[in-house]
Amino acid sequence: MTAVYVYGILGADAQLPEGLTGLGPSEKVSTVVHGDLAAIVSDVPTDRPLGTRDDLIAHEAVVDAAAAATAVLPMRFPAVVEESGVVEELLAPHHDRFVAALQDLAGRSQYTLKGRYEEAAVLGEVLEEHPEIRELQREIHGLPEDATYHQRLRLGELVVSAVEERRDAEAEQLLAALEPHVAGAVTRTPPQPDDVVDAAFLVEHGHAQAFEDAVEQLGERLHGRVRLRLLGPLAPYDFVPGVEE
Amino acid sequence: MTVATQRQGGGGGYVERGGSSSSLADVVELILDRGLVIDVFVRVSLVGIEILTIDARIVVASVDTYLRFAEATNRLDLYAKGGKDLPDLVEGMTEGGAKGKTAGVLDAAVDKVDDVLTRKREDREPEEVPRRRPQRRAREREE
Repeated sequence: MTAVYVYGILGADAQLPEGLTGLGPSEKVSTVVHGDLAAIVSDVPTDRPLGTRDDLIAHEAVVDAAAAATAVLPMRFPAVVEESGVVEELLAPHHDRFVAALQDLAGRSQYTLKGRYEEAAVLGEVLEEHPEIRELQREIHGLPEDATYHQRLRLGELVVSAVEERRDAEAEQLLAALEPHVAGAVTRTPPQPDDVVDAAFLVEHGHAQAFEDAVEQLGERLHGRVRLRLLGPLAPYDFVPGVEE
Repeated sequence: MTVATQRQGGGGGYVERGGSSSSLADVVELILDRGLVIDVFVRVSLVGIEILTIDARIVVASVDTYLRFAEATNRLDLYAKGGKDLPDLVEGMTEGGAKGKTAGVLDAAVDKVDDVLTRKREDREPEEVPRRRPQRRAREREE
């Protein structure tokens, strides 16, 4: 029984770019076709565990190269399946859903936008707006850390909640400003209180320039308060069909 | 995708740009946390392939978060005692090294991933390493 690594799925008539390097010992990348779909596959290393840095990069590089040429549904790492399973368990049972998803993604790319507050700027704003936080900060000032553990905890809690309140409002404005340029958006709750936004956008190729310009304008407007980082164009990792039982 | 690198550096420069191949952290987050998942891949053990478990998600205890923000706020205490204008203060703090501290948590996770992954890192964004270094000290101090 042979294991196969799956990088992503594309249309059966789509052309796979030349010169892709797989993560298996043969380094070859090929496709398995079923109906209107093709899975991008390779062999799998069997003499070592999968999941090294090079494996991750190989996965991403293959998906990326394919996505630059055509619509792709990128798999999440690690996608290993028994050889017969590529058709029997992956392509055949989900055929129509994947075909529809690929049609929906045609001519579109993903961008991911992340924003983080400049620490001093946002904390300054919070202090200015919340007298009770200033008061607590004054109380603690100059005292040893050990003696003020609980006050410091309380201070941090108040600051975090004030920052989060602020960023929620801010994120809403950011998304509203970009909305006219995008075909879809997925937002995540940012991992840290001072992360303003973590959002993925699906953008028509024809609107890419307008979208990038709009992001740049936001960056200019927020300069000094929020640092924006834009990744993309990317394969549509955030816009693949969800898991279906 | 390919266009990313060609476009880099264009525009007014208020937004940091990166293609998908910009950093290991971005790669890890994208391909481990996003993308298509089908039930069949959960059963990888059936084909006898060992998979390294890499958890890209970061769980930070809220206590640590609170203390981190308390510390950062206390570094702004000039505002409380000096009555200095806020813009001056903000400018001073930004230059004074408060910057970047908050990036430590995600970077910590990337350090961890790096530990798990192979040590070869010559082919991708070598400048990322020195950029992360100073925060290591900050994290130790918090512990």
